Amino acid sequence: MPSITRQPFRTAVLVLVWGWLLFLVLAPNLLVVGASVMTRDPGTFISLPLNLDAYRQLFDALYLEVFLHSLYMAAMTTLVCLLIGYPFAWALSKLGKQRQLLLIFFLIVPFWTNSLVRTYALKMLLATNGLINSALMGLGWIDEPVQMLYTEGAVIIGLVYLLLPFMILPLYSVFDDLRQELLLASHDLGAGRFATFIHVIVPLTLPGVLAGVMLVLLPAMGLFFVPDILGGSRNLLVGNVIKNQFLDARNWPFGAAASIVLTITMAILMLAHRVSKQRIGEEGTG
Amino acid sequence: MKKLALAGLLAVGLTGCSSEEPKVLNLYNWSEYMPQEVLTRFEEETGIQVVYTTYDSNEAMYAKLKLLDDSAAYDLAVPSTYYVSKMRQEGLLMPIDRSKIEGFDNLDPELVNLDIDPDNKFSIPYLWGTTGLAVDTADVEGEPVTAWADLWDERFEGRVMLTNDMREVFHVGLRVLGYSGNSTDPEQIEAAYEKLTELMPSVRTFNSDAPRVPYLEGETDVGMIWNGEAVMAEETMPSLEYVYPEEGIIAWLDSFVIPKNAKNPEAAHQFISFVLQPEISALISEEIGYATPNLAGREMLPDEVANNRASYPTPADMTNAEFQVDIGDEALQVYAKYWEMLKSGR
Repeated sequence: MPSITRQPFRTAVLVLVWGWLLFLVLAPNLLVVGASVMTRDPGTFISLPLNLDAYRQLFDALYLEVFLHSLYMAAMTTLVCLLIGYPFAWALSKLGKQRQLLLIFFLIVPFWTNSLVRTYALKMLLATNGLINSALMGLGWIDEPVQMLYTEGAVIIGLVYLLLPFMILPLYSVFDDLRQELLLASHDLGAGRFATFIHVIVPLTLPGVLAGVMLVLLPAMGLFFVPDILGGSRNLLVGNVIKNQFLDARNWPFGAAASIVLTITMAILMLAHRVSKQRIGEEGTG
Repeated sequence: MKKLALAGLLAVGLTGCSSEEPKVLNLYNWSEYMPQEVLTRFEEETGIQVVYTTYDSNEAMYAKLKLLDDSAAYDLAVPSTYYVSKMRQEGLLMPIDRSKIEGFDNLDPELVNLDIDPDNKFSIPYLWGTTGLAVDTADVEGEPVTAWADLWDERFEGRVMLTNDMREVFHVGLRVLGYSGNSTDPEQIEAAYEKLTELMPSVRTFNSDAPRVPYLEGETDVGMIWNGEAVMAEETMPSLEYVYPEEGIIAWLDSFVIPKNAKNPEAAHQFISFVLQPEISALISEEIGYATPNLAGREMLPDEVANNRASYPTPADMTNAEFQVDIGDEALQVYAKYWEMLKSGR
């Protein structure tokens, strides 16, 4: 294999990437799959024999309801992100290059601060004697403080705040690629603004929407610390159930099985994303 | 030449290691359960650096200790009563060398040699305390709150806080029904769950990180609190009262234990002796509001601390008090299931 000796840099990069994927992605996930089919053991956490009890337990009405509720919370979060992110990304793509870069920079800056810290900051804003209530009462707009903290609304606000950039960035990239010629053609062929939006813009930005939905929906179901801090420590998300199973109930197979279900949901979404992308490719060429 | 430099570097590295032992104590403790001053003074006196990590539930502490058992991440931990016996029986603890512990005789005879650890072979009491009722008298009108059962009162809808601790919350449910807080009977646990579901619409939040905070934030008016947290809250919020419920208070004792594979048991022993000094025990109790089992330390407390009923209950306050005991894995699973059901609010 002469290429290996001749291209040491390339080899190093390949080894690094494959090593990374094998040890930090594949191996941990296989461990989770392994744990999910083992038996719960109070002494060693997990033990043989292999069985599917953990998955059977998932179909308990209780966990089905938790999963559905989690899906509802995540869907609401995704919807709000989409409603804010779509026009935002559109407007962003219309700006000059310099301004675009600046705004994207502002979008990314919050990531320099730990998300846990930002969630606590949000808590200080939303509390009954927090900043928002004090300000509203100071202005005389309300007499009694509004209860915002420890509600489902607070959890959704927290999730939207943390995940919005993940919706905006893929949308921005599809809007950036949107060719003006197509819009002009649509116009010349007699389509109004609304018709152009429905028949041209929406289909062309659909892959971005799906990518954004994928990047928001799944993490939203797993960010257990948001309900812990803003929702009063209730099991609002699948992430909380997984955490409780691992730490409090010490039922590792069950916690692992719940996390596998999340992974599978993710895989289904990715498949949908690919299919939609392919369809658009076909329409483009045909 | 290059090789020589490398050898030189290695030599420096080696002597750097051998001349001085790694003097670090990894202390794993409940959040807000040790004044910084104590850690600073220990570091100054012994030169041992304390790496302080916290947890907010016995379950989390147990899971991490057990997982990190072999990598020996911690030298000292502070489990509650029932986890001391559990961890001792599972062989997770290192015996404590009493010859290296000074001041053991100062400890309250009633709090040593308990069933959880006969002869204190594996544990040394650190602090004890109670979980009782917190009442914000500025916001609660009408009949005074005197019992756990009062939490079910309609006037507290949306204003109740519970600790984020499965055993404690079920303890309340069980006591209200007249059962033991350590019940292992599935029927009684289920009944407690049914009773607690009636309370859930009133519950605004669960908190075991710093249970005083929701009261200080103005989010809750009444509910559960640890006595030390109530004492700490008094300073900023004098209207918050600590009440001993009629059904009986939840009592616990937290003890120092040394994990089996601790890297620096020597420093752990030194730290225990340091805390057992009457002056240090008194300082801790005064700062964080929990009761010290160190009788010599208790004598050194200022009157307002020693006579504070929240920290040091009278014998009458302790009527019906119940210490938490280990309930076994089978009952634990029953509790865990109902706890999930309770918290998912269905």
